Amino acid sequence: MLVRRCPWRSIQLHQLWCPRQIHTREAIHDKRWPGWQVIIGIEVHAQIKSRRKLFSESSTSRPGEIPNTTVSTFDSAFPGTLPTLNPKCVELAVRTALALNSKVHHQSAFDRKHYFYSDLPAGYQITQRYSPLASGGYLKLSKGDVSVGIQQIQLEQDTAKSTFDGLRRTSLIDLNRAGSGLMEIVSEPHMRSPEEAADYVRTLQAVLRCVGSSDGNMEQGSFRCDVNVSINKHGQPHGTRCEIKNLNSVKFMTVAITSEVFRHIELLQSGYSVSQDTRGFDENKAETFKLRSKADSPDYRYMPDPNIPPLLLSEEYIETIRKTMPDLPDTTRVRLRNLGLSERDTDVLMAVDSGHEVGFDGELGKGAVTYFDSLAQQRDPRVVVNWMTHELIGQLTARKETFSDNPVSVEQLGELIDLVQDGKITGTSGKLLLKHIIANRSLSAPSVLVQELSLEAVSEDDNASTRAWCVEAIEALPEEAEAVRQGNPRVLNKLVGKVMQLSRGRADAQNARVVLEDVLRK
Amino acid sequence: MHLRVGGLARAYPSRSCAGCRAHSFSTSHLRRSVIIHAGHVQSLNESTNALVSFSTETHNLDFHGPLRNLTVAIKDNICTMHLPTTCSSGMLREFTSPFDATAVEFLKAGGANIVGKANCDEFGMGQLSTNARLRRSLNVNSIHGPVVNPYYSPNEKSVPWAERERRSAGGSSGGSAAAVAAGMCDAALGTDTGGSVRLPASYCGITGLKPSYGLISSRWGVVSFADSLDCVGVLGKSVDTVKTVFDSISSYDPKDPTAAAPRTRERAKASAESLLSTLDVNSSSPDLSSLRIGIPQEYFPSELNTTIVTAVRKVLERLSSLGAQLIPVSLPSTPYALSAYYVIATAEASSNLARYDGVQYGWYSFPSAPGADKSKPGNVYAHTRSAGFGAEVRKRILLGTYALTADAFDNYFLQAQRVRQRIKTDFDSNFRIPNAQLSDPSPNPDGVDILLHPSAIRTAPRLDSDAISGLGPYLQDVMTVPASLAGLPAVSVPAGLAADGWPVGVSIVGQWGSDELVLCIGNVIERTSDKDNSNLS
Repeated sequence: MLVRRCPWRSIQLHQLWCPRQIHTREAIHDKRWPGWQVIIGIEVHAQIKSRRKLFSESSTSRPGEIPNTTVSTFDSAFPGTLPTLNPKCVELAVRTALALNSKVHHQSAFDRKHYFYSDLPAGYQITQRYSPLASGGYLKLSKGDVSVGIQQIQLEQDTAKSTFDGLRRTSLIDLNRAGSGLMEIVSEPHMRSPEEAADYVRTLQAVLRCVGSSDGNMEQGSFRCDVNVSINKHGQPHGTRCEIKNLNSVKFMTVAITSEVFRHIELLQSGYSVSQDTRGFDENKAETFKLRSKADSPDYRYMPDPNIPPLLLSEEYIETIRKTMPDLPDTTRVRLRNLGLSERDTDVLMAVDSGHEVGFDGELGKGAVTYFDSLAQQRDPRVVVNWMTHELIGQLTARKETFSDNPVSVEQLGELIDLVQDGKITGTSGKLLLKHIIANRSLSAPSVLVQELSLEAVSEDDNASTRAWCVEAIEALPEEAEAVRQGNPRVLNKLVGKVMQLSRGRADAQNARVVLEDVLRK
Repeated sequence: MHLRVGGLARAYPSRSCAGCRAHSFSTSHLRRSVIIHAGHVQSLNESTNALVSFSTETHNLDFHGPLRNLTVAIKDNICTMHLPTTCSSGMLREFTSPFDATAVEFLKAGGANIVGKANCDEFGMGQLSTNARLRRSLNVNSIHGPVVNPYYSPNEKSVPWAERERRSAGGSSGGSAAAVAAGMCDAALGTDTGGSVRLPASYCGITGLKPSYGLISSRWGVVSFADSLDCVGVLGKSVDTVKTVFDSISSYDPKDPTAAAPRTRERAKASAESLLSTLDVNSSSPDLSSLRIGIPQEYFPSELNTTIVTAVRKVLERLSSLGAQLIPVSLPSTPYALSAYYVIATAEASSNLARYDGVQYGWYSFPSAPGADKSKPGNVYAHTRSAGFGAEVRKRILLGTYALTADAFDNYFLQAQRVRQRIKTDFDSNFRIPNAQLSDPSPNPDGVDILLHPSAIRTAPRLDSDAISGLGPYLQDVMTVPASLAGLPAVSVPAGLAADGWPVGVSIVGQWGSDELVLCIGNVIERTSDKDNSNLS
């Protein structure tokens, strides 16, 4: 039997009477709209990267899945089915809340939001209207020392997908997505420009990906934004806001906000008022259009879900998650810099890392930073990062491959670096070897490959070989040899290069230079 | 065959049927007897309309299970894979569930022989089992119609059974109760949201148990009417049969999220057992001297038929003679229970029934009339929903929808929740054992162990009387909804006859988790009443 307190009434009153939190920021003067202040708040729906749906055993679907194949009787709202909360979804949402400095509530509850639509088989969506999972918090933007407040984070079900086939005049329904877990992350209206909004979205995406709670992909619909925009003259109270729904790229979002700001300015300057609308965005015309006005907004008849007991999270549970969750980008950055990495190398590593695939149920993906960390154990971090950013990532990029395509295992690259560091092969040979492994997707150990490819470095004692290559080089490039003899030392590099070529990189360049000079002097 | 069995059905009063069947099962020709029984059941059904579909084959008969040889009917709002689950609604008239309810799985595992699905009010909404929705206009092949109470009043011994007075079997589990009372099965599963098991049990003169909410029987596979109130209940001829079936279906099921946590169960079990251990209930002359029975004054309203009071008084006298202490108690919030119940139940129903739109499954009606507005999905849905639901269900959906609108939510839904809380507090403050669901309950050493009151304010009403229209039916729930709102176990057992010769039921209500105790006391009442009857004869 459910013993429910009735927190929702007090929360409603609190929301009504609590004056809007005053967020003081210096007035921003934007050349595009002099005299006007733009106020932006964003509601993000991020799909939780869990293997199973929020309340059922069926798998979440990947893009391109055959429609209506990952659907349980609960997802399709069959009579007699009941929800069972997926603890993995809760864990990932708690990670997100902690990453956003939110207060995770020890007790939260689920409510039903009712409306009739073909993408909602039960006629209601389970969400957290009256007591959300977490509230408060902030996200620091990457630019301009701005923090955007977080109002609340709640768990809810995703809807099915309905597509209208105009040709056949039929609605097609795909229930694969129905019942997948979403995190609704509501920001405070703290952003002041389309660019800040874009920064917020990108930073939030990075945080979600980093803690593994969502892959944050706007194009594929796993990260969707509804943006609230209002404008007011500097020093005046906030204007009437409009909500722009379902923006599916950061670029379109900035275009939509900009066009909405100009629409508001035009209305106000012509003596009209802005009406509180819900609007869509037309990507071709680059402007918003009215979906419905506030008066038409449906009454969702929220009701506490009688099937789902309150979600109780102990302090211990929250702390365990806090301790075991992956580091946030800022923390990682500091850690990498402390290892002695340059700012540039850190940037490259983290930029590459942000593209890594997010694992299911919070399992850590194989990103560039993880790769680096495994390599840098018992190795010089600066040497490791050089090999990674300059050679490995450089060669992958040259082949138009990304880090996720990287065929070189940590063990392979580690051994390769060790071979070079120990002077067993030259740096040049190391690069050649790496190229060989990538090109051939070789799984062999570098030491084996060194044998196969005869890449062992020529030892310093083995001057005979080096001398032979030097003589050969001088014979091959008589004019350059003459120039050096005439006292032009810069041409010597060309001869060294020839020696390296002849030795297939096995010769030590420094040694070759000494030997060449010696031979030429004679 | 059909004729012979049909003749039999006309000839016997329901009571002797049980013996006849028991005999046939004891023979080695089990399969033949099952077939005879099936034919028998169908002929009895002609005059009761208790069952709406019949198992065509007997499968999974486990001869060693605790339910072997037991025939069971399943209310038609409990999902079964091998028989349709229509909920007596036009909306689901062709619907067969892809899975068995957990309770049905347990029955099958126990070796029960499922005879068919029992008629009920549409989606369990009603008191009289007259709200079955599959009418001629919708489905020429299936005419559910009202359930006719199989009870054969001693005043009517001159007329054949099939021509007895047509009275309601009560609802919404009327089909389940009638099937048991007519001897078509030994037990039946019903569902109880506000009294839907106890009221028909009382009207039909059998035993009906509504267990503690969330303690034991799983709601997985039970078509939701009002989730916070719905319980799977058991109806049977005797308390022992009810207990046997109940014990088999009442295991914890992780698929039901409202199932109580193991720690809460253990706490409840411990307090109920400590109470039971002080009683001697199994001997031929039970000793109830440590039992404190509360008689709630609010359960004897002016509407209560006086001959029912007489019957209840006799039960109390018997219990008192066994040593039980009778203590008048007050549950002051009782008068508000019915209103709170109807707000909460209709609000939840409006939500739960939103899924019946004809898109994923069930019945669908395309608005084909010229000028029909098909521009919005809502309009298309409205067409199917208006045609598919019956009048009572439509009424309750509208009421519930209103109670959840932003303007009414506070005054109706939240107000009803507050009343519900007060009702729970009323009960908790009267019971001696604490509510195991509360984190720090305050024990009341002067409290009572069970409450005892009439199950209904009257005997079964005639199907053609005014009592089955207007506000009358809603008042029938007045005795049963408080225990539903508080989630408490309650059993209705037969308590003799009223002046009109029809059965009276008495309800025993216990603290949350003391299901075994209420069944135990029910058993004592049953046994002592049998003794009374035999003394009379």
